[in-house]
This record gives sequence, C-alpha cells and structure tokens, in this order.
Amino acid sequence: MATVRVDGDDLVVEIEGMDRLWSLKSRLVIPLANVRGATADPGIAAEPKGLRAPGTSVPGVITAGTFHQDGERVFWNIRDGARAVVIELADERYARLVVEVADPAATVALIEQAVPR
Amino acid sequence: MGRPRGFDEQAVTAAAAGLFAGRAYDGVSVDDLVQQLGVHRNSLYKTFGSKRGLYLAALRWHLEHRLPSLTEQLAAGAAVADDPTLDLLLLAAVERAPSDVEVAALVAKAWQTLDQALQRAPATPADPPASTALNALLGERLRARAATASAGPS
Repeated sequence: MATVRVDGDDLVVEIEGMDRLWSLKSRLVIPLANVRGATADPGIAAEPKGLRAPGTSVPGVITAGTFHQDGERVFWNIRDGARAVVIELADERYARLVVEVADPAATVALIEQAVPR
Repeated sequence: MGRPRGFDEQAVTAAAAGLFAGRAYDGVSVDDLVQQLGVHRNSLYKTFGSKRGLYLAALRWHLEHRLPSLTEQLAAGAAVADDPTLDLLLLAAVERAPSDVEVAALVAKAWQTLDQALQRAPATPADPPASTALNALLGERLRARAATASAGPS
C-alpha cells in the first residue's frame, strides 16, 4: 500500500509498512511538471509486468519494485490490485508508477487537480 | 523511445468518443477501453497519459469533427433534438464539467457555438408553448451546473 500526496511542486509517493522492503524503495518524489495524469485501473494487475530488476514478485500475492517492459521502466507496488492507480510520468526514471492506495478515486482527483494542463 | 505507437490515434480517439457518449465516465473502465479500442494498455497510457487524457482528446475530437455539421443544420433551421451528436456533450455537462475545469471550458465553448448557430437560424413558426418553459428550465439548470467548475472551487 502506498500514500500519495502533493507537497509544494512535488508529488510524493510513500510506500508503507513491509511493502517498502519488497519494493526496495520507501519514497518517490516526482515534480508535478513531470506527472501526466492518474487513472484508477484495477484491471492492470492482470497484465504481464515484464522483467523484474530489482524487486519482488509472488504472482497473486505481491508485485513490488522495478520492472522492465517494452523499453520502459515501471515501478509497481500492488497486492491484489483492486485499488491500483496508474500514474503516468514524463522525463523521469520511471515511465509510470502502478501503486495500490486506500482510496483510488480520491488519489486520482488529487493528482488531476494538482497537474496543470 | 520504446516501440512506435502502431495504432491510428485519430481512429482510437473517435472510437473513444463513441464509447464515452454511450456510458457514464466511471462506467467505462480501462479494461473496456483496452478491449473495445484494441489498443495495448501501456500504449494508451503512453499516448494519452490517463483515462482523463483520453476522454479530453475524445471530447475535443468530437467538438471539432462532429459538432460542425450539427451547428450547420441548426443554423439552417433543422430540428436536431433526435440527433445523438449532442449525447457526449450532455453527458460531459452533467458528469464531468462540474468537477473538471478543462471539460467545463470545452462544454461552455460548445454551448456558445450552438447559441450562435441558433441565432443564425430562421425564426421558428410558433413553438409548442406547453413544453417550452420546462425545456428552458432544464437547459438552464444543465448549463448552470456545468459551469460550476470554471466558476471556482466547489
């Protein structure tokens, strides 16, 4: 599970509890200018994730860490994926973040309102 | 960077406009979009950024490519109440505009275009008086509600 908040001009994604161990990362800070949008997408859990390096993947239990697919680097931190939110980035180390949050609709609204366009 | 898109962005945007015109925004999942538009999930995100990004592209495409023929008919005095071209706009006004400034701006612009077309239309021979007041009331409420996002924070 992750918490997503806006801090000044940055989007801060914090990985909670034990999940930070599995994903080998506890915090991502992304300038809002590099955030393209966010989408609640429970269906993404069923997609192939690509090659994991580094991180943890136990199918059906946890997908956490950095995955490589189609030349893109994607950060995952989901369990069953029912509350997955996809955050699309530009000019960042990761092409997108796929994280599980408590309230996907609220997280999407927060990001949409914070990202100018 | 990565693979070429491998899909026709215009065609996908047009098809998305059709999907969003027939169902509530929240009723269209990314799974639906992936299946019905025939585009890979990663490509959708890469191209449009988010479901909202695709929705905005679809709404803009619709207003640019579908609305003009409707306004022409309106200006010529044709009855267009049965025309489904208005559906995406109506759903946008009811559902998305109150909470999305960008959608509110697009909807307001479309109203303006339609208003102007109606002003050019030849005077209609005596409207049926019974329904006119209610139609006007419903229309006014719809427009007031859609304008709340652009008016300021809710």
